[in-house]
Amino acid sequence: MTDELRVIDFGHSSPLRSQTLWHAVAYGVSAGAPATLSFVRPAEPYVCLGYHRDVAEIDLDYCRTNRLPLLRRMVGGGPVYLDQGQLFFQICLPSRSLPAIRSQALRRLLEPAVTAFHAVGVPAVLDDELEICVGDRKICGHGAGQIEDGVVVCGNLIETFDHERATRVLALSDPVHREVTLALMRRFVAATPVDPAAFRAAMAEAYSSAFGLSGAPGELSGIERKTLTDLDERFSSDGWLAGTRRSGEATVAAPRARQIKVRAGIWTFAATYDGARVTASVVRGRIEQVHLYDRALNGSSREVERAVTGIGLHSVAQVLAGFGDPGRRLATAFATADPGRI
Amino acid sequence: MEGSALVQVAGFPVALDRSYHAESHMWVFRTGLAHVRIGMDSLGLETSGTLAQLSFAPVGSELTAGRPFGQLEAAKFVGPLISPVTGTLLAVNDDVVTDASLAERDPYEAGWLIDASLDDPFDELQGLLADPAAVSAWFADKIAEYRLQGVISE
Repeated sequence: MTDELRVIDFGHSSPLRSQTLWHAVAYGVSAGAPATLSFVRPAEPYVCLGYHRDVAEIDLDYCRTNRLPLLRRMVGGGPVYLDQGQLFFQICLPSRSLPAIRSQALRRLLEPAVTAFHAVGVPAVLDDELEICVGDRKICGHGAGQIEDGVVVCGNLIETFDHERATRVLALSDPVHREVTLALMRRFVAATPVDPAAFRAAMAEAYSSAFGLSGAPGELSGIERKTLTDLDERFSSDGWLAGTRRSGEATVAAPRARQIKVRAGIWTFAATYDGARVTASVVRGRIEQVHLYDRALNGSSREVERAVTGIGLHSVAQVLAGFGDPGRRLATAFATADPGRI
Repeated sequence: MEGSALVQVAGFPVALDRSYHAESHMWVFRTGLAHVRIGMDSLGLETSGTLAQLSFAPVGSELTAGRPFGQLEAAKFVGPLISPVTGTLLAVNDDVVTDASLAERDPYEAGWLIDASLDDPFDELQGLLADPAAVSAWFADKIAEYRLQGVISE
């Protein structure tokens, strides 16, 4: 690795370019370009899917009606809504310069961002689940991936956040699920509106210092520009958008429950089983809000809801066992939730 | 793969009837003269974090030792699954694509990842760790190293 940290500010870019630009950088770094810190702000709002996520998670009709493009990135995480109120950053280094253990690499790549937040007056911490937070609110979303031999971590400075739209773009058939998700999104995702120029400068300083590199403004190389053109084409194709879980293929996993992760440890889900229906929010392992339906409860669902509210997810089956057949059906619906996998 | 000679090393299971690619934590089990089954060992899985998704190159793809044959996503990090052999991808375990946790629950049997044919059935596995005593020692060393680094718990 050279001792240079190339810093590129792509400014405002189209939704497509706000993805393909930094992917081109990752291919460039893989091929020998300097480690690179880049910034980009989408010129228009759009929706972006993580590498493995399913297009069916998005309300495509809503996106079409509201002219929100849908793109797929090569790094992980769930579907996200992006707009001009978010400044995105990407740090990319050769894989050989990072620990082989993913959690160590991720921590090493996120810690300088925390330093930068501090430098601009935001008391951020990197928690045990590798989320950048202030208190219990996430202030920076991130995703990571290895693209050939370049490891990239993306994150954002959230200057403003449209919680309602970020929830609305998700395909949620149950209105209660949408309402519960929006409430948690408002509670656990926060904006930190600081001067973006100061943040960019602090980031360049923090990453240079953390990796012993000398920050210098840069731009894409000729090879990266060629890669960018190829990526524009790839990312615009239906095949790329369809992703690794194309409908109809044998390897498609039927969703076991509709789950939305708001931040690490905070999630909602909706599931049905044999006519029983569950919608719940889970905050650090405990059921916080729950809405239940089973035809045989005959109006006594409130009693069951009270019984499971506040208990740990692992105790739900035991508690519901006391409510006969409806309890067993509801417990089966609960069992489809798998928070570790979202 | 009946009775896979599974032993516990410092709390982590390892099967001693197969070969290991130390860097990638992939195991290789010979199912025929030129055919192998490939999976990830329990330590590789543990240090990856909770698996969210696995995806693989299409059946029929060429495999190159040291290059990716698929992707693993854990903790919002998508990273390559590195092939320990050179050959051809013959089959993918659809069960782990459907439910990635199967690889964590049963890494040496039901949680296998791919089947492959070998370009060179005689020399292809020579660079891998195969001797049971060497495998056990390597596993114990890696566990100690990861515990020292705080990557895995005591």
